[in-house]
Amino acid sequence: MQSEQTKTSGAQAGKYLVFQLAQEEFAIGVLSVREIIRTQDITKVPHTPPHMKGVINLRGKVIPVMDLRTKLGFPETEYDQRTCVIIVEILTEARTSLYMGLIVDGVAEVLSLAQADIQDVPDFGSASRSPYLLGVAKTKGKIRILLDINQVLASHEVGGLQDVVEASTRQAAGSEQADGVLV
Amino acid sequence: MQPETAALEQSVQELATQFVLAGEQGGPDSIAQMLGTLSRISEAARATGSEELLKATGELARTLQPKRGRPARGKVQSGIEALQQALGTIAAVTAPAPAPPNTFASLAQDKELVSEFIVEAREHLGNVEMQVLAIEQDPSQSGPLQSLFRSFHSIKGLAGFLEFHEVQEVCHDVETLLDRARNNELTITSAITDLLLESGDYLTREIGRIEHCSLGDGEAAPASPAAVLAKVRAVLNERTETKAEETAAVAAGPEAAGPDVTGPGETVAVAAGPARVRGDRLVKVDTGKLDYLVDMVGELVVAQSLIRHDPAFKSTTDMRLQRNLLQLGRITDEVQRASMAMRMVPIGQLFQKMDRLIRDLSRKQGKRIELETQGRDIEMDRNMVEELGDPLMHMVRNAADHGIESAKEREASGKPAVAKIQLRAQHQAGQILITVSDDGRGISRQRIFDKAVRMGLVESTAVLSDDEVFHLIFEPGFSTAEKVTDLSGRGVGMDVVKKQIHKLRGRIEIASRPGKGTNFLLKLPLTLAIIDGLIVKVGAERFIIPLASVREVLQPKEGMITTMENRAEVAVVRDQLFPIVRLHQRFGVQPRSTNLMDGLLMLLETHGRTFSLAVDELIGKQEVVIKTLGETFQDVPGVAGGAILGDGRVGLILDVDGLYKGSRNG
Repeated sequence: MQSEQTKTSGAQAGKYLVFQLAQEEFAIGVLSVREIIRTQDITKVPHTPPHMKGVINLRGKVIPVMDLRTKLGFPETEYDQRTCVIIVEILTEARTSLYMGLIVDGVAEVLSLAQADIQDVPDFGSASRSPYLLGVAKTKGKIRILLDINQVLASHEVGGLQDVVEASTRQAAGSEQADGVLV
Repeated sequence: MQPETAALEQSVQELATQFVLAGEQGGPDSIAQMLGTLSRISEAARATGSEELLKATGELARTLQPKRGRPARGKVQSGIEALQQALGTIAAVTAPAPAPPNTFASLAQDKELVSEFIVEAREHLGNVEMQVLAIEQDPSQSGPLQSLFRSFHSIKGLAGFLEFHEVQEVCHDVETLLDRARNNELTITSAITDLLLESGDYLTREIGRIEHCSLGDGEAAPASPAAVLAKVRAVLNERTETKAEETAAVAAGPEAAGPDVTGPGETVAVAAGPARVRGDRLVKVDTGKLDYLVDMVGELVVAQSLIRHDPAFKSTTDMRLQRNLLQLGRITDEVQRASMAMRMVPIGQLFQKMDRLIRDLSRKQGKRIELETQGRDIEMDRNMVEELGDPLMHMVRNAADHGIESAKEREASGKPAVAKIQLRAQHQAGQILITVSDDGRGISRQRIFDKAVRMGLVESTAVLSDDEVFHLIFEPGFSTAEKVTDLSGRGVGMDVVKKQIHKLRGRIEIASRPGKGTNFLLKLPLTLAIIDGLIVKVGAERFIIPLASVREVLQPKEGMITTMENRAEVAVVRDQLFPIVRLHQRFGVQPRSTNLMDGLLMLLETHGRTFSLAVDELIGKQEVVIKTLGETFQDVPGVAGGAILGDGRVGLILDVDGLYKGSRNG
C-alpha cells in the first residue's frame, strides 16, 4: 500500500520549507528556494493577472512577485510584519532560470520529510485534481500541503485548488469559496 | 596517479638526464640512446591517449632525426621542455581523479572542459575563415598559412583530448595538407581554399552539435566527415608519389608534421599551449559574471545615492564627510563606466563574417565583388554585435544580389568590372553609425512605387518623397527583384531587418542614386544596457520614457485640447493635431487628477508618427540601466523593461510604440 501511494503522489522525501497561507500550512521543496526576504516596495506592472503583484529589486535584479494567496484562491489580506517573500528559482522548459518571489503570510520552518510521511492527495470524487499539488504530508499530527512549485509558476490557468485544500484539512471556510475563482 | 603516468614521468626524466650527459658534443651514440628512451615514452603516451604528449613526442623525434646534420641543441632542449609540460598536464588531470578505469571517457563528459573547447574552437574557426580569405587575396604570404596551421592544429589537439574523433580526424588531414603547402610541396589553388572553408564549415557544424549535446538537449550522432575527408585525401594523394616518405612519417606519428619548422620563436609559442598565441594580455570571462558585476555596480550606485539623499546626511555640516562622500560618488561613477566598457567588443568580428559572405556570393553569382571595411575596431556592446549579425548580413546580401549589376551590365555602363561594397563603422555623437553602401544600379524609385501601388500600399496618385518611397522596401512582403534567387528576393527580409534594428533602438536611412549605388545608414546606440530616460509620475507610480523618443514636453492650456466624435482627444500644437493617450487609462493607475490641465503632455515620436502622452508630472532625467522583466512579463503591452531608480525601487520603462499602437486598437 505504501509503495502504491508514493508512486501516485510524486512527492519526494527530503527537506521542505513550510509557510502559511490563511490558516493552512503549505510546503515547497527547499531545493528551489533561493532566499526569503521581507516584503518590499512592489512596482505594479499593468495588464497582468491579479495574482501577479509586480516586480521588485533584489540586489539589482528585477524579479516578478506573485501573491500566492490570490493565486491559490484565498482572499487577499493586508501585508504585515510577518508577510514574507520567498524567492524561488526554477528551470523553465527553455532551460533558463526563472526567478519568482512568492508572497506568503509567514514562513514556519524547514521540515525533513520521509517518504512514509507523504501521502497522495485524497480523491474528492467530482473535483478534478489540482495540478499544483504534489501530495500531503502528515507529521506530528499536522497536515501540510505539498505544492508543485514548477506547476504553480508555469501554469496560467487557475486550478480548483480551494476545494481540495478545504476538504483535505477539513477546515471549510465558506467565505473563501466565493473568492476562489480568478480571472 | 595512474601507473602509466608514473612510468612516463620516469622515462622523461631519464631522457632529460641523457640529454644533459650528452653535452655540447653529443655524438651519434647519445642520440641513439635518447631515441630509444623516446620510443618508450611514445608508447606509454599512446597508452594514456594524451594528444599533447604524443605531439611533443613526435616533435622531439623529428628534431632528433633531422634530414641532414646534427640536431640543434636548443631545439632538443625546448622539445624536452614541451614534453615535460605535456606530462605535467596529464599528471594534473589524472592526479585528482580517483583513478576510474577510463579517465578520458569521463573527461569528455566534463562540461567545463567541453565548453572551453567550444569557445576556443570557435575562435580558431573564425581565424581559419579570416586567414583563408587572406590567402586568397595574396597566396604568396606565409603568415596566414602559419596561422591557419596553428588553428587547425589547436583544434585537433583539444578534440583529441576530449575524444571528438571526427573533429580530430578532419583537422589532422587538413593539417597535413597545410603542412605540405607550407613546405612548398603544394600550391594553394582556389579548389584548396574552397576545401579549407568547407572543412571549417564542417567543424563549425560539429562544434554546434557538440554544444547542443553538452547542454543536454538530447544526443545527436556526429555527422560523418567522410565527404570532407575524401576531398582532402584526394588532394593529398595527388602529390603523394613525390613524397612517399612523408606519408610514412605521418603514419608513424600523427604529430610528425609538427609546427616547429619556422624557427625557435614559433616553437615556443605553440608549445606553450595552443590558446596562448595571442599573448597573455587577455582574460576570458564568462558573460554571466560580467552581467553580475554590472548589476552589482548598479546597486552600488543606488546605495550611494540613498546615502546622499538621506535627510541625516543632508543636515550635516561636517565638511570632511561631505567631501569623502563626493569622492565616493566619483569613484562609483568611474567603476560603473569601467564595468560597462568591459562588455564592449570590436565590431570587426561581425565584418569578418561579411568577408566570407561576399566571397561566397561573388562565386555563386559570377559577379566580382570586393568588400571594403572601415572601423573594424569600433567597439559596441557585445549583445548588440550579436543581434546585428543577421540584419547586416541581409543587407550585404541584398546589396550583392539586387544592387550590384552583372559583369556585362557594368561593362556597358562603363563601371569598373570589380564591384565594391563598403562597410563602415564610426562613432558620432554618442551613436554608432554603420553604413552599407554599394556602387551598383541604385534603387529604382519608379519600380518601387509601381510595385507598392500594385500591392495596395499607396495610392497611385500619392506624392511621396524619395525617402518615403525607399522606406516602402521595409514593408512586409516587398521585393523588387525580378527573379527569385536562392540568396534573396523572396520578399522576406527587409521588414525583418527594420524590425531588428528598431528592437536595438536604432534607425535606418536610405540614400540612393540611380546608376551610382545605394547607401544604407544604420544609427545605433552604443549599448543596449543604458538609456537616457525622463522619469514621469502618474498617481503613485513612476515610469521612464526613453529620451530619444521625446520631442517636447508641454503644459496644456485652455483651448489646446479638443475631442473628436466625443471620445478621441487631440491636442492642437502649432496647428498640428496630436492624438492624446492618457497613461493612467492605458495602465489602469489612479491619477492625481483626471483634468488634463493639471498634468503635462509629452509629445512622443514613434516610427515617424507623433502623439501626446498625458502624465501627472515630470520628475527628472536619469541615465538608467535597462533590465528585462523576465519571461513572466515579457509581452506586457506598452512596457519595454524595468530599471532600478535612485531610491532602489523598480521603475517601468515605457515602450512608446506599444503605447501608441495599444491606444489605436483599444
